[in-house]
Amino acid sequence: MAEEEDDPGFDEDMDDGGNGADLGQGKRKQLFSKELCCMMYGFGDDQNPYTESVDILEDLVIEFITVMIHKAMSIGCQGRVQVEDIVFLICKDHRKFARMKDLLTMNEELKKARKAFDEANYGWVLK
Amino acid sequence: MADPARVKTEVVFSETSTSTDRPKQSEGSSDGPVNASTTSEPTAVQTSIKEEGKGRSAEDTAAGEEEDEASSSLHPPPATKLKVEHEKKKEKRQKVDEDEIQKMQVLVSSFSEEQLNRYEMYRRSAFPKAAIKRLIQSITGSSVSQNVVIAMSGISKVFAGEIVEEALDVCEKWGDTPPLQPKHMREAVRRLKSREQTPNTKHKHILFH
Repeated sequence: MAEEEDDPGFDEDMDDGGNGADLGQGKRKQLFSKELCCMMYGFGDDQNPYTESVDILEDLVIEFITVMIHKAMSIGCQGRVQVEDIVFLICKDHRKFARMKDLLTMNEELKKARKAFDEANYGWVLK
Repeated sequence: MADPARVKTEVVFSETSTSTDRPKQSEGSSDGPVNASTTSEPTAVQTSIKEEGKGRSAEDTAAGEEEDEASSSLHPPPATKLKVEHEKKKEKRQKVDEDEIQKMQVLVSSFSEEQLNRYEMYRRSAFPKAAIKRLIQSITGSSVSQNVVIAMSGISKVFAGEIVEEALDVCEKWGDTPPLQPKHMREAVRRLKSREQTPNTKHKHILFH
């Protein structure tokens, strides 16, 4: 561990070849590798994208989420994240804003539909 | 092998109209999204068309309405006029939605096998909500509502899409073939950063100093 800290340049290159005892440096468990693989194919990449590209994309997405959440925590209610904060942060980016609006609207409609469905099916129980 | 340029245009065209993806997944349906008939599919492209249509139609209808109402009553109440305009806008919007839906159906019905596969992957792929929720909660330290998780996963997917599209542009420009390599991704990120489409907190914007 001490040797690696002395040679940061060397360590970077040997990141992938780090031994199993190496805990903090290179071997972080991938959160989204399967889903990202499918997503990249859907967006136009090859059917089997390179693992390194998927890793890079995952790091980027996690960084994006982290930065966004940190910003959201600092505006509005301090220390809490609400949907309004995210809306405020995203409003400049039209694509993301439109997508988010679609998703939230669709979610509301689904909730209403499910509620109406449940009432229709099980309303007689209450009577 | 699908032509990436062609597939990309299709993706850009249909990029924001993936509104039925989440509902299908949450209901556990196993049907392909080929026959996805949505109730409303507002898209970014469509918004601009809508606004133009709205502007023009609002003026026409306002002029027409004013004439009709002036003949019946001297001063049409502004509330009625606004309400009528609003309804006309809604109708126009629904009509544009239906056109959009029909166009999408025509397009999807003419896909080849490979394109259908890719389109299905495009609509069905999503980040797992549990992992996103865990990630967000580990950052905030407190629990977050479900809407936040839904919004963040949707936005992250769009973000990933932007990067992949830009990387495909770079790949094509450099004369390479599709399996994207890390150098394409990094160049794509660099370009997005210069266009400020990638958020970063490294540069703190100080107003008065």
